[in-house]
Amino acid sequence: MTKTIVVTSGKGGVGKTTTSASIATGLARRGFKTVVIDFDVGLRNLDLIMGCERRVVYDLVNLVNQESSLHQTLIKDKRLDNLYILPASQTRDKDALTIEGIARVMHKLKKAEFDYIICDSPAGIEKGAKMALYFADEAVVTTNPEVSSVRDSDRILGILQSESKRSKMNEDPVKEHLLITRYNPSRVKDGQMLSVDDIVDLLAIPLLGIIPESPSVLESSNAGKPVILDEESAAGQAYSDAIDRLLGEAKPHRFMEVQKKGILSRLFG
Amino acid sequence: MPSDKRVELKGGMYTFMSLKIGVADVDIVDESLADKVQQAPGFFADTPIVVDLTPLDEDPDTRDALDGSALMACIRKHKLVPMVAATGDKSSPLAKAVEVPLIEGGAARRPTAEDVPKTSAADAANNTRPTNEPVSSSEVEYIIRPPMLIDRPVRSGQQIYARDTDLIIIGQVGPGAEVIADNNIHVYGPLRGRALCGVSGNRSTRIFCQSLEAELVSVAGNYRMLETIPEELRGKPAKIALDNERLNIEPL
Repeated sequence: MTKTIVVTSGKGGVGKTTTSASIATGLARRGFKTVVIDFDVGLRNLDLIMGCERRVVYDLVNLVNQESSLHQTLIKDKRLDNLYILPASQTRDKDALTIEGIARVMHKLKKAEFDYIICDSPAGIEKGAKMALYFADEAVVTTNPEVSSVRDSDRILGILQSESKRSKMNEDPVKEHLLITRYNPSRVKDGQMLSVDDIVDLLAIPLLGIIPESPSVLESSNAGKPVILDEESAAGQAYSDAIDRLLGEAKPHRFMEVQKKGILSRLFG
Repeated sequence: MPSDKRVELKGGMYTFMSLKIGVADVDIVDESLADKVQQAPGFFADTPIVVDLTPLDEDPDTRDALDGSALMACIRKHKLVPMVAATGDKSSPLAKAVEVPLIEGGAARRPTAEDVPKTSAADAANNTRPTNEPVSSSEVEYIIRPPMLIDRPVRSGQQIYARDTDLIIIGQVGPGAEVIADNNIHVYGPLRGRALCGVSGNRSTRIFCQSLEAELVSVAGNYRMLETIPEELRGKPAKIALDNERLNIEPL
């Protein structure tokens, strides 16, 4: 059974693409045949973070318009055998996508026996975001610990409830997961950021993980390598934990407390 | 050839206002409508309505004395748009005169023989109960509208309206969400968005919530914003009701 997971947020710049790349990579590393689709048509980013930008020939819009085959369009990841990237088009806009077209693509991916389809949603609540979440079985709602991001996440949860295929067909609702990114415990302590408890209370959905703010996220993005592969970094470990929880494993949440600085990191930190 | 989803013929349920006619005198209907429309001018303008003629079926002679076309003209005069008429007897002179499509029965159809559960032959044989026991009039005429029940959180940007009934929400009402009802509103969870009860004018309606953090609360058009809600009441269970012109917020 193929599972479709949308990574969404409403607000831009909260880490959807970083999260999509890491979730897809994490699932593939655990042996699942996974594809990650960039729905941000017009603003192609996922290929950069996945480090395959030079290998893009065809894109999602070509596939939707039946100008290319699935085999031609999917880019095979260099690091993992069972991971594929379906890039967005840079020269088109979101109007090029249609529900019927996406439905055909989803059907092809299911026939190709993918275990997971990860949909990297664009920001906003317009057509692109609605297309990305339409076919979702599960949703990872990415939220930063700030009021505006939480408000937008609440809005996108409402849209998931009313505009997803599952809601329109009266099927079981989309399973919602909360992923808090850019969490900085010391700034939470100073009252500059919302705490995990505040966010969970406001959004009232189960917590999938807390990704601490970490320089390794930016470094990995620039290097074209999903941060989950950086096993030394707190962010990489936190994504790895989130994958375990996504697969149903109970794991205690980490990275919620202020880390005490040791003498060495004080000196060299 | 796949069917064209853009053009579909389907059954559906829609909410319409219905106008019950229980009197065979067009002048009385006219007066009563003028009074209702004047209470909320504009609200009823061009509203499609179902003309419910079933109350008249009780007395066919009176019913047949009513001038159907005059009745329709009177309704149209008040800017209401009669779409269909509900009647128990489609062949009556009144039914023929109303010039709109007819449907069987009204919103509050009286129980008929068909509605009595069918009993098995054995049951019927030793049935001692009178089957056609008349139902007391208070029992049939009091229509209970079920409340609208929402058992998921209401999210920012969502709007929920319970027409002619109570609204019960199990879960929170997020900031930027709006819950509206013609009757009472009950929120079993934090109320952080806007809640407006009695929107069609019922001043005796109330809002109940488990944690009052609302951006705005309103009863029959009288509203208060969060800033004017005393600090000590915020975040606590509360009931909100109208006391004369003042919106009263009390701990629950």
